[in-house]
Amino acid sequence: MGFLDAIMGGKKKLKAPPAADKLFAMSTAYVTLSASHGIETKGVAAIVFQPLATADFEAIVAEMEELLAGTGADTGTTISTSEDSHGYRWIILHDDDIEDLVVGVNAVSDALMVGGYGDRVLAAVFAFKDSKGKRVYFIYNYKRGHWYPFVPASGTQARDGERELQVKAMIGTELPIEPELERWFPLWGIPI
Amino acid sequence: MAATKTTFTRDAGLQSRMLLTMFLLGALYVAFVGVLFAAGVQGFMILLIAGGFAALQFFTSDKLALHAMGAREVTPQEAPELHSMIERLCIQADLPKPKIAVAYTEMPNAFAIGKSQKSATVCATTGIMKMLSPAELEGVMAHELAHIKNRDVMIMTIASFFASVAAMILQFGFLFGGGHGDDDDGPGFLVILLASLVVYVLSFLLMMALSRYREFSADRGAALTTGRPSALASALRKIASGMDRLPQQDLRAANEMSAFFIASPKKVVAGLFATHPPMEKRIEQLMRLEGELQTGTLAAA
Repeated sequence: MGFLDAIMGGKKKLKAPPAADKLFAMSTAYVTLSASHGIETKGVAAIVFQPLATADFEAIVAEMEELLAGTGADTGTTISTSEDSHGYRWIILHDDDIEDLVVGVNAVSDALMVGGYGDRVLAAVFAFKDSKGKRVYFIYNYKRGHWYPFVPASGTQARDGERELQVKAMIGTELPIEPELERWFPLWGIPI
Repeated sequence: MAATKTTFTRDAGLQSRMLLTMFLLGALYVAFVGVLFAAGVQGFMILLIAGGFAALQFFTSDKLALHAMGAREVTPQEAPELHSMIERLCIQADLPKPKIAVAYTEMPNAFAIGKSQKSATVCATTGIMKMLSPAELEGVMAHELAHIKNRDVMIMTIASFFASVAAMILQFGFLFGGGHGDDDDGPGFLVILLASLVVYVLSFLLMMALSRYREFSADRGAALTTGRPSALASALRKIASGMDRLPQQDLRAANEMSAFFIASPKKVVAGLFATHPPMEKRIEQLMRLEGELQTGTLAAA
């Protein structure tokens, strides 16, 4: 955000979304995660966005869900939706093939962007488990085009910061990781 | 490509009014500095002293403001809902997470302070958290984050600098200026005094206007972040009716900082002298945004 935007009371539109290939980097990075570090996909991913209470928005979402169901018949991807306590909607995709998950998540965000609602997307979340069966999430921030690991710990809003940094080191440069640690925003109440 | 499509369009009218106000304020201050320099050593000294005070105020104001409100920083464990709500808004607004504080008062209000985006604090009162629904509170917090994003504390501090210089000179002038029998202050000081009076009055009006425009901007920014203009409008309605019923004593400490509140704690003040636009105007703007959303004209464009 530039000086002029600040003076003028803020950008009136958000910057262009980052290129989709940063999302797709997960398909190749997963090979390393799985083969060298024992972090396996749980066969589920989700995309979370702010639903707008307008006919146009709901029509776009319905159309996109129909499209996903159609391609899902070929790939085996199944979808479900849920709303959380903050009023955000999650579209949850189940598929054991991580590439299908990435493609599915991209189809959702793409449909919203084409409809003019790209700035409603909060994040995409991919669920994994490590060799001890512990949950590890990778969160993709669409606004910044960056990934970061998120490992919840037991307790109210507690996270395992050490484990997150270990996972970051494992992945190395294969994923575009968010460089500013204070932007590793947790997401509480992930339904996957 | 869909990159240029977004949920809301820009408001060129608001931006040009804001630019005009800032231009007038700048021109006024340039003229004022000119007078101070023309008056020689005295004027220059006053400028230096006032600069020192302003810097001191700038660097200590955060803690003072929080303290005056009886606010305390809260951990994610103490206020998990508030923390996770703000974390998500920060992702949407592309901001680092601010510190989060809670003020223990029934007065329904919220404010943001901080010199930079990284050192900012947002504060909500227990009153506002009780009064509003989660979606309404989210709108209010998004409004405060928009203030942070737009660097309103910095901008209003800079905008008020010469106004406080003028105010200091006026106080200084009335205390000491007339006290001496002999005329060794000379006509130079009288000119400074007069110029200060003019600058003080004009800059006050301009600053109030600027502050109102920035409130509109922050409302707009909140709508952009949450996608729910009506939730903020509904919150503003609740706050407005709630504040009328509350005793005035609660507001003593608040007057100084009213510029960064979600709603002005003062009673009805005539339009020109208000830091906040009237609630009806703000709600009207938000309803216009909701109208744009509902008709889908923007998304289809």
